[in-house]
Order: sequence, then C-alpha cells, then structure tokens
Amino acid sequence: MRWLLPSFMRKEREPLWLESELVVVDLELTGLDPNQHEIVSVAWVEINRGQVALQSAQYRLNKGVKDLEQSPIYHGISEPEIEEKGECLVQILTALASALNTKTLVCHNAFLDWGFLQKHFIQYDISVQPKCIIDTLKLEKKRLLRAQEAVRQEQLTLPACRARYGLPTYQNHNALSDALATAELLLAQVGHLDTQKSIKLRNLV
Amino acid sequence: MTHTHSAVTDVLDFVTQQLPFSTLPASCAHFFVNHAKVVYITSLNQAELLSSEQKYLYLVRSGVFDLVDNSGEVVTRLGEGDYFGYPSLLTGEDIQNHLEVQTGGLIFLLPQEDFDFLRREYPAFEQHFVRAHKKRLLSSHYKERGRGWSERKISTLMCRTAVTIEPKASVVEAAKTMHKAGVSSVIITENGQLSGIVTDRDLRNRVLAAELDPHVSVTKVMTRDPKFIFENNRAFAALHLMLKHNIHHLPVLNEERMPLGMVTSTDLLRQQKHDPVQLIGQIYKANSHQEVVHLAKEIPALLRGFSNTVEDISFIGTLLSGLTDAMTSRLTELFIKQQGEPPCRFCWICFGSQAREEQTLHSDQDNGLIVSNSILPHQRAYFAKLGEFVTGHLISCGIKACPGGIMASNELCRGTVDEWLMRFDQWCHTPTPQAMLNSKIFFDRRFIFGDQFLYQALNAQLNNMQKQDIFFAAMATDISANSVPMGLFQQFKLQRDKRKHGYLDLKTRGVAIVNDLARIYALKCGVAKANTQARLEALKAFSILSKEDIYNLQDCWRFLTQLRFKIQIEDLDLPPNCINPEHLSSLERHQLKEAFHLIKQAQQACVFKFARGSL
Repeated sequence: MRWLLPSFMRKEREPLWLESELVVVDLELTGLDPNQHEIVSVAWVEINRGQVALQSAQYRLNKGVKDLEQSPIYHGISEPEIEEKGECLVQILTALASALNTKTLVCHNAFLDWGFLQKHFIQYDISVQPKCIIDTLKLEKKRLLRAQEAVRQEQLTLPACRARYGLPTYQNHNALSDALATAELLLAQVGHLDTQKSIKLRNLV
Repeated sequence: MTHTHSAVTDVLDFVTQQLPFSTLPASCAHFFVNHAKVVYITSLNQAELLSSEQKYLYLVRSGVFDLVDNSGEVVTRLGEGDYFGYPSLLTGEDIQNHLEVQTGGLIFLLPQEDFDFLRREYPAFEQHFVRAHKKRLLSSHYKERGRGWSERKISTLMCRTAVTIEPKASVVEAAKTMHKAGVSSVIITENGQLSGIVTDRDLRNRVLAAELDPHVSVTKVMTRDPKFIFENNRAFAALHLMLKHNIHHLPVLNEERMPLGMVTSTDLLRQQKHDPVQLIGQIYKANSHQEVVHLAKEIPALLRGFSNTVEDISFIGTLLSGLTDAMTSRLTELFIKQQGEPPCRFCWICFGSQAREEQTLHSDQDNGLIVSNSILPHQRAYFAKLGEFVTGHLISCGIKACPGGIMASNELCRGTVDEWLMRFDQWCHTPTPQAMLNSKIFFDRRFIFGDQFLYQALNAQLNNMQKQDIFFAAMATDISANSVPMGLFQQFKLQRDKRKHGYLDLKTRGVAIVNDLARIYALKCGVAKANTQARLEALKAFSILSKEDIYNLQDCWRFLTQLRFKIQIEDLDLPPNCINPEHLSSLERHQLKEAFHLIKQAQQACVFKFARGSL
C-alpha cells in the first residue's frame, strides 16, 4: 500500500515529528470488508508536539448501524446505547474530517481503518486531506524485522506491541481506549528511535 | 449532544485510584483527565519533552525514573502513581531536580493553571501536595552536601612529583632516593611505565628483617604491578582500595599510565580533619584547657560546612551535645591532673537542651555535679573549684553561662544524691512557678562523666518518687501559659524589637512547647529518656497519645528545628532563634502556620488531660 505525499508538500521543509499535529483514529467495525460491513463507532485523539491531549478525545457511536448483532467482534455496545447516544455517520465523519484536515492520520493497521474511512468519505462526498498516514503496526513490523527474520501476526496486535514497550494493559477495548492505546504506542515507538532531535515525520510513514 | 465526557475509562480508572484523587470527589479526577497530556519519556527525548518553560504536575503512569538533585544525588525513585514537579508549582521557584530515566514510560502532565484550579477548588488536594513537599524537604534537604572530601579528585590531594627510580637501581639507592625526597615510598618505572613500588615497610620487612644484602636490585624487594589509581578518580575510590587491600600507598597515574605521584593514607586522613566526629576525638586528647578552647573555636565554622550534610537535623543537636560532653569531660580530667584526685566519688550531669541532645550554637550551659553521700564537709571545696574551672572554660569555649545559674559553679547545682532528691521532691510537692521552671530544666537530664552509679542511684529514686496529680496539673497549666504566635484568622502574631522588626520566636513559642508536651507525657508514663524525639518515639508504646498525635508532634518538632538551624546558620539580623516570616517562602509560611496550629491543639489536649480539675 502506498500513501503518497501530496506533491506540493515536497517543496516545503520536511516537517519534524516534534512540530507535527497528528490525529489517532480507531474504528469499531462489524467486520473486515468495507463493502460489506459497517462502522459501529469512531474514536480519535490528537497528538500535538509529542503530547497526547486527553482533552481532544472523541468517541462517537453510529446511530445508523444495522447489523450490530452480527458483528463477529463483541464491542460491548448495546442497541439502546446506540439509540440514546448515537448520531448519523455523516455527522461523525464530518467532525473527524475537520479534525483530520492538514494533519497526519495515525492508525494501528491503517489498511483496515483507512479503507473504511475512505469508502465513507467518498460516499458522503466529504473531502479530507490528511498530510500523511502513519501506521503503528507497520512501524513495529519494520522495527522487528530489523532484529529478526520473520514476524508473526500475533506479535503485531496492539496489546502485544504495547507490552514490548512496558505500556500498561488496558481493560476496556472500545474504540477510544484503542485510539489512546495507539497514540501511546506511537509515542513509545518514537521515543525509542535513536536520533531524537531531527526525527522527521517521513521517518515514521 | 455533548462529547465532553469522552474521557478514556482506563485513564480515569487509574487516576481515580491515586492519592489524593481516591479521597476526592469524582469530578476532581475527571478534571485531571480532561486537562492532562500524555508523553512518553525516554533518556533520548526527555530534554525535548520536559523543557522547563511550562510548569506541570507530573504523574508517572509507567516506567521508572530517578529524581536527582543538583549535586547528583538521587532524591527519590519514581514509579507508577508517583508525582513530581509539585515543589516548583507550590513555591513558584525554578525546578531544582532533574530526571534520570531508568526505564522509559508514560507520564501525565497537568499544566500549572489546571493544578492551581484544583488547589483552589479542593483544599484536600492542596494539602496532599503541601504535605508531600514537606516530607520531601525533610528527607532531602539535609542530604544536600557541599563538596565532601571523599568526592575530591585524587589530583588535588596527591603528592605532586613522582619519586621514581630505574629497575637497575639497588635497594640502597632506593633508600637514598626516598631519604633525599623525604618520602616513605618510591616508584620503580620501566620505560616510563609503572612496574613496582617499594615502601618503608618493605625495606624493614623484606630487607632488614630478612637480612638481605642491600646491594641487590630493587626489583628483588619491590611489590610488582602494585595497585594504582588515576588522577581523575575520587578520594573515596583511593580510600576504598587502601582499605580493601590493607595498603597505605597508591601510585597515581595519568591517562597514559605514566606515574604522576603518590597518594598515601596520611594524605587522605588529613582531608578528614574537618570532620566534627574527628574533632570530638581531638578534644578528648587535648593536653591543656587552652587547647580545648582552641579546638572549640572551630565548631561554628565546622557546623556551617556541615549543616547541610546531615540527613536528619536532630543529628546536629546530638553532635553539639557530644562536643560539649567531650569538653566537659576533658576539662575535668585536666583539672584532676592539675589539682590531684577527687576526695570522693562524683559525676557530671547535664540538664535542659544539652541533656535532650538538642543543643544549638546559642544554647547556654545547664550542668551540675553529683557527689557521694559520704562526702565530708571540707571535701566540698574541691568540687566548688572543679565546677568553677570547668564552667569557666566552657564559657571560653563559646558555651554561654546560664542566666538562671544552673551550672556546677553554683552551690545549688552541686550536691549529694540525697540533696538532689530533696530538691526534686520539693518541686514536685510545692509546685510554685519557680518550681515548675526548675522541673522543666531538671527533668531533662543526662549523665556526662564520672561515676555512673551516682547518676543511676539518683535516677532510680526519682522514678520511685510518687508524682502527684497536682504536680502534673501545675505542669500542664504552666505549659498552657505559653502560646503559639498565632492570632485570629490564622495570622502570625509578631513580636517587635527596638528597630520595629517583626519576628517570631521559634524556640520559646514553638519548639519549647513540643519539648514540654513530650516531657509531661514521658514523666507520666515513666519514660526515662531526655531527647524529645526519643521520648515521643517511646510514647508510641503507651496509649496516652494517639499515634497520629505523636507523628504530628514529631513532624512539627523537626520542621521548627530545621527552620531554626537554617536561620542560625544564615545569621540573619534578628535575635537568636527568631525568624521574620517575610523571609520565608509562601510554602514555608503555610507549613509554619500548620505546625503552630497542631501544637496549639496538642497543648489544649494536654491541659484537658492533666489540669481539668484545677482549672
């Protein structure tokens, strides 16, 4: 998968990690296929200058989800809860798009989440221009491959990656918990890169 | 629809479990979570992420970090649930300590303005951090050290020029070289590199005692490949090597391993000269009272260099009392040397602050002599002269005369065991104000020097003496006559001097009250100790005071004593033991008010306990 930088970006001075604004996104889904499955909830949290701003944490439930019961993954979200707190997906995605524009998107396994997001952004005709995309799963895979021959899939789950950095185990597995968990994982991954001063965003993409 | 409650449950759960949030309303933890930032700190990125421009309260979520002070000493190790950064938030001063990352981890950051908000909204939140800061101060302040001698570099201590000879030289030549240079050892070098060492002792043991021909090569008697030290090592490392291998000479090498000189155990001992414990030893060995006085002159300067190196401030009190004990003992021995053996058994006792081991540079003398019951009238003159001699020279040593005349030069402070008992008995049964004053001084007593059996005899009989309720009631009433300098609305009540400087007397209106309280409870429970902290510690075994009350009194005492020493050493332009609250930081003022408040409560409880009937 290739996430190309928009061409106008290349002329600018390369953005540094510590000067960057990022949005970490996690989705809860009813399945793995964007053409068949639905988004149950969307959560995001922002990283500014190397700091996760807890204040920016957002957790939104999709009112329009039809197939909650058939979701292969149990999210602990009940239908009454969605009834009460849910909103239209288009509203949610509009809010996310405005948070995301000109910033960097971060996901753990971006292939999945960005696939879903892109599909619905196009569907609702929402224009969104993330600066670039960072995948903490790919980052970790790259790092592990430098030290060992092969990486097994179970070594790359979010809890497995976090455990490697001594990050606390989170009990709740909703989208918001995972978004923060991913954000913290990225901080830890960056914190363990050798050269700190000049870490460029490009080093992470 | 609002989304302000999108707090991450896991973070909220964690924060809610931490003090002080666990004792505060849930809204407090919510506020924290909604305003905190998260960073991941490693040794590589800490400089970038923990810049001091913006001040934060830091809460460790994972990882291990050491908090290190300016002198490089670890103040405390921080792990999950530990805070740092609050001293600077509370005092407004710059951050004093820095972080050393042991294991990288997540840290929550709460900006100053949000910390301030919680302080305003939740008094218990503020109190938690004020207390934590006080504890940190107590434990870390006296760990600070000026440059201890053991941290000095070898290059500053060693004998500058290396005395060397070639391997082809004979033992005689080696001895001549040492004699010429006036040193006790010589280095044997080969091509400029260290190859061996010969010392005085080697000449004795390996040449003379072994009846070896002194014209043999020096290589036959030298220690091959001796232990050595580099010029950039610390004195401590040299001392350690010497002790470990029981050697007295260490060649000093530079980075290229060329011999630069020699460091000996004598060089290191010389560095310890300014050690107060050493001074006590020197006083015990002084050959004349002039020498005792001369040695005593070093005490104030010594204390100045020392005050910050003692972990617990009360050690200074112990040290000063120890020095005074040493002077009293040595002066007595010198007197006996001069005037002949005493006509009967006797011993020195001390009272008041010296007995409590709480002496300061301003404390005056409180001492006395106990003599044998079998003393004959004409023998008393000897002890009058002894009292005169010792107390007089103690004054020359800088320990002022007691304004109340409680000194062995005063006839009323000399006496047989029976005479002392009669005095105590009188104070206990006819509690006049003067008797109460005497009780305060004389019930804090300690043996210094002489015949210990006399002191034990007096003590045993005093403990058996029935102390009546009326005695305790009078004592409690007397304690309550003194008050902490706090007015209404938690304001300091200042005393004024001639030049209209406002000040607080930390001794008589703070420390002394805690001492009084510890004494009355100790007497009631039969605790035979004089030191206030020791008394309070011992009182934990009795039910007369709750543990919390005892801890509070101990804390107050330590805090006030620490402040008191600080001002004494800083030598401010105020009466002894007094402090101008304006010279304190806002935090210290806050703590001082809290200390006074606690003392007042304890005082009231004491009156209630002992003086109910008579008030």
